Amino acid sequence: MNTEKPLLIKRLWVVSFSLLLVLFAAMFLGLSLGSSHSGIKAVFQNLLGIGPQDPMLDTIIWKIRFPRILLATLVGGTLSLGGLVFQAILKNPLAEPYILGISGGSAIGAIIGILMGLLRFPGVSLMAFSGSIGTLLLILVMSSGHTILKKDALLLSGVMVNAFCGAVIMFLVSLTQDARLHNIIFWLMGDLSMVDMPQVGILAAMLLPCFFLVFWFSNSMNLLLMGKEMAQTMGINVKAVTVTLLVATSFMVSTTVSYCGLVGFVGLVVPHLLRLLFGPDHRVLVPACVLGGGAYLVFCDVLARTLPDQGEMPAGVITAMIGAPLFIYLLKKTRR
Amino acid sequence: MAFRISHMLNYRFMVIFLLAAISLGVFVVTPSFARTVTDQLERTVTVPDEPRRIVSLAPNITEIIFALGQEHRLMGATRYSDFPPEANKLPKVGSYVHLDLEKIVALKPDLCIAIKDGNPIAVAKRLESLKIPVYAVNPKNLETIMQTVLEIGGLINAEKEADLLVQNMDLRIQKIKSLVSNVAHRPRVFFQIGVSPIVSVGTHTFIHGLIVLAGGTNLAEGSISYPRFSREQVLALSPEVIIITSMAREAVFEQVKAEWNKWPDLPAVRNQRIFLEDSNFFDRPTPRLVDGLELLVRLIHPELFKEAE
Repeated sequence: MNTEKPLLIKRLWVVSFSLLLVLFAAMFLGLSLGSSHSGIKAVFQNLLGIGPQDPMLDTIIWKIRFPRILLATLVGGTLSLGGLVFQAILKNPLAEPYILGISGGSAIGAIIGILMGLLRFPGVSLMAFSGSIGTLLLILVMSSGHTILKKDALLLSGVMVNAFCGAVIMFLVSLTQDARLHNIIFWLMGDLSMVDMPQVGILAAMLLPCFFLVFWFSNSMNLLLMGKEMAQTMGINVKAVTVTLLVATSFMVSTTVSYCGLVGFVGLVVPHLLRLLFGPDHRVLVPACVLGGGAYLVFCDVLARTLPDQGEMPAGVITAMIGAPLFIYLLKKTRR
Repeated sequence: MAFRISHMLNYRFMVIFLLAAISLGVFVVTPSFARTVTDQLERTVTVPDEPRRIVSLAPNITEIIFALGQEHRLMGATRYSDFPPEANKLPKVGSYVHLDLEKIVALKPDLCIAIKDGNPIAVAKRLESLKIPVYAVNPKNLETIMQTVLEIGGLINAEKEADLLVQNMDLRIQKIKSLVSNVAHRPRVFFQIGVSPIVSVGTHTFIHGLIVLAGGTNLAEGSISYPRFSREQVLALSPEVIIITSMAREAVFEQVKAEWNKWPDLPAVRNQRIFLEDSNFFDRPTPRLVDGLELLVRLIHPELFKEAE
């Protein structure tokens, strides 16, 4: 026990530091690439404050790209963490906010909020939160009590919740006639382009405490994975921990959904990759998911805005194109 | 006497000094590089006196600026800004519903002209927070299009061209009004802007206004702007003229036409009055809408032109 603790802290530092470097690399890429093709050299000069300074480039880097990469970092971190928590609590390697329908439920709430003409904060965010809690309850009812569902059944019910949410969203979109419709469709695919600095600030203020909360419970997640009885004998209040973590995760996920729509599969790809690299200890995985997930989404967003010739595509397109095949691969692997 | 002269000289100096001060003051108070205007959404916008780097945020605005002969001021336009063909060469800043903020800023515009329906308000707000003035227009019918042309002309120092353009539009509209004024029958028109699902146009659209001006009856009139129809509903309305505008290609049109031709009892089918027209004449609030109007009169009231010939 005495030798384990310093070792853990050392591992935590090494992992966090190396992932922080990855995140910075992704952020630098995010700052230097964009639809206006400014060139990496000019960005370097701007960042270091040397050479001729172009005020227009300054605006583009700090007022357009910078809020965007911060948003991508926050959202990527949140969704990865969401995946990690769901995988631990539901003991299912394929659980993820998007696959379970939590994101879809938030989207329904958010769309109703948008159609009611509410403000992004707090109106739409609150609506999204209630939507996510609704789907969460649905999932818990299906996966607890007398009808304990098996792994596949939980996923299937998630797929069904998702299909239902999709239908409700299309229903709501069909009811509206106005020009907001186009925006909703773009937003649905996970669009990171429309957020400015004050909004990123609000989002960070809501998400960062949740990150710490989840980190606080990271050892409990380790014990939970060993089984309920085991956790209980180790002095964990299973019910309280489970409820706290699930509600906090739903809150985080619904908040990101209300800001940038449905970005799928991030919570699947990142935790699996990190577990493969750093092992199953959640005390290391929680900070790793925040940093690594952030870097992953920043990178996907860079692809989303540089791949198309004209304009850009929503980042959700890229994450789904990477994530869905991985999901199928993992499904085959766990079946064996 | 000497005292008097010097006094007068002093006086003169005073006057000159005052005049100079006043003119300087006027210069300082109303700087020549900016003025404040109110746009069509009642927003106050400070625009440059002589905008030289305009980014148009919708295809119809690009068209209007070209029609005013001021295309040298245009630095960028949205995707699908394809009329006149030279507009294709402009740098593109995303589509009008999904603008690429970074590209707009990179073009260093001194004025952006936006439309109310379509351009996301969030982009306009962010452009303004980056000190780029955004002038919004909201053309809803022929009158407001003419108003918009005049306003944009005023913004970019092309008042004369705008006056001329609007006079020409007005003249052609009056001509059509007098031509249609004594038609005995107003044919039932079904204006199909969507193929699958079938979508038509309600009362609050400019196409409705055009159909009425052209001496037809819009079968889809009602409070819903773009109502959807089932095939059954359309058959029950028994349209005499079906006009399909679609960005779809000829092949699709033949298909849609074949669909309607399955119903020979339909007056429009019986008299072979199903037409495909270029949607750009009808769905863009630009001076070209008058071309669309003239086209509509020919489709709805061909007899007026036979008599003339």
